[in-house]
Amino acid sequence: MALNLGSKTSPIPISGGVHVSRLGKSYGSHKVLSDVNLKMHEGEVVSIIGPSGAGKSTFLRCLNYLEVPTEGTITIGGARVCAEEGTPDKASLEHLRKVTGMVFQSFNLFPHLTVLENITLPQRKVLGVSKERAEDTAHQLLKRVGLPDKAKAYPARLSGGQQQRIAIARALALSPSIMLFDEPTSALDPEIGLEVLAVMRDLADEGMTMLVVTHEMHFARDVSDRIMVMGDGGVLETGPSQQVMSNPTHDRTRQFLKAVLDR
Amino acid sequence: MFLDIFLTVSRGIALTLYVTLASLLIGGILGLLLAAGAQSRSRIIRAVVGSYINIVRVVPPITWLFLIYFGLPQFAFKLSTLEAAVVGFSVIASAFMAEIYRSGLLSIPVGQREAAWALGMNPMTTARWIITPQAFRVALPAIATYAIGLLKDSALASTIGVHEITYYAQQSAKQLHQGLISFAIAGVLYIAISLIIAVISRRTHLMLRKKIGVA
Repeated sequence: MALNLGSKTSPIPISGGVHVSRLGKSYGSHKVLSDVNLKMHEGEVVSIIGPSGAGKSTFLRCLNYLEVPTEGTITIGGARVCAEEGTPDKASLEHLRKVTGMVFQSFNLFPHLTVLENITLPQRKVLGVSKERAEDTAHQLLKRVGLPDKAKAYPARLSGGQQQRIAIARALALSPSIMLFDEPTSALDPEIGLEVLAVMRDLADEGMTMLVVTHEMHFARDVSDRIMVMGDGGVLETGPSQQVMSNPTHDRTRQFLKAVLDR
Repeated sequence: MFLDIFLTVSRGIALTLYVTLASLLIGGILGLLLAAGAQSRSRIIRAVVGSYINIVRVVPPITWLFLIYFGLPQFAFKLSTLEAAVVGFSVIASAFMAEIYRSGLLSIPVGQREAAWALGMNPMTTARWIITPQAFRVALPAIATYAIGLLKDSALASTIGVHEITYYAQQSAKQLHQGLISFAIAGVLYIAISLIIAVISRRTHLMLRKKIGVA
């Protein structure tokens, strides 16, 4: 604790992976998250499910410090931040955010910028990439999410599903080590949600490391390698998707799955 | 006769515009700094900025002008009438503009900041490229409304002898005993300038709305 060298280098030898240990968050004496542990290897897809108020989104948002955890250590793609060491310095914080891409429930595209500018601006301001290269990358990504002809449109002119696919492209443009999805389809009607899920499936197939907070049980079962079930600010269980879905070990998980699947 | 009075009163247009636009510009820049100060992490800076804004706004403009023009020389230096008017209205505009910016900033959803941060943008980049352009668009109608208010207030500069529209209207009213025509012409000139400001603002607003569908 005497030296703060830890935030500069990763002592854990998984370069592309994710290692979260003993993550916790409390507001004063009120604990909203406690002792969350997660190890992911490169290319793994993990879904986080559980009832609302379980701390799923809070956990996800701690990983890029949109929420500040009060305990625990986060190591992602060479960036390492330890909550007990106090507020991370600017460099570690920006490093952590550079290696994590996030997709929000409400898309959060920048409405005053065109689709193309939404994807190029972060590349230019954060990575210092030239305009031409940023645009090349943007056009490739637009093709990849199936919207090659929307470069010049403003977000307000697009459907929710299209906006979310653009948001995915925008995050991918920074070549993150991991993509964090915070209920990416919850604001969309089920049919439109499918086009977003399709893009996510493709991403998973291409080997992107993904952590997905979701209520889409089919996606959780079929696309993710593992499922982490959360409840009351902690992890109830983590296991291979099929097993968690068909044979959960925890009573609370069974109760939750029954409620969701019986709909 | 009418033409003579019209030509006389019109000589005030230049300084009316000058006082209004200079104060709007200087006040607009000072207002940005104040709005930034109001967001400061330091409680002391926030308190100082808050008191400044409140005090400036509740003291009547004419009191400010007299304070600066007649009061300042007693312990500092004397400003010309025009300087005093621009300083006075800039001070007043800074407080109002700071409030306009603040409401513009408040209207930007927190998700915009979060998205920018999640993409690794630092606070300066976020403010410059994401927040300010959007806040400005939201604030534009309020800025235009305030500019028209400032235009009307600028008539008060005649009380310290700035040669603007109302000043010339007063002169010709006195000299030619044509109060009705003189001030009616002044009124029409203010209406004309207000309309120009309103049209510019409306055009800009429509253009932005057509383009991005917000604001």
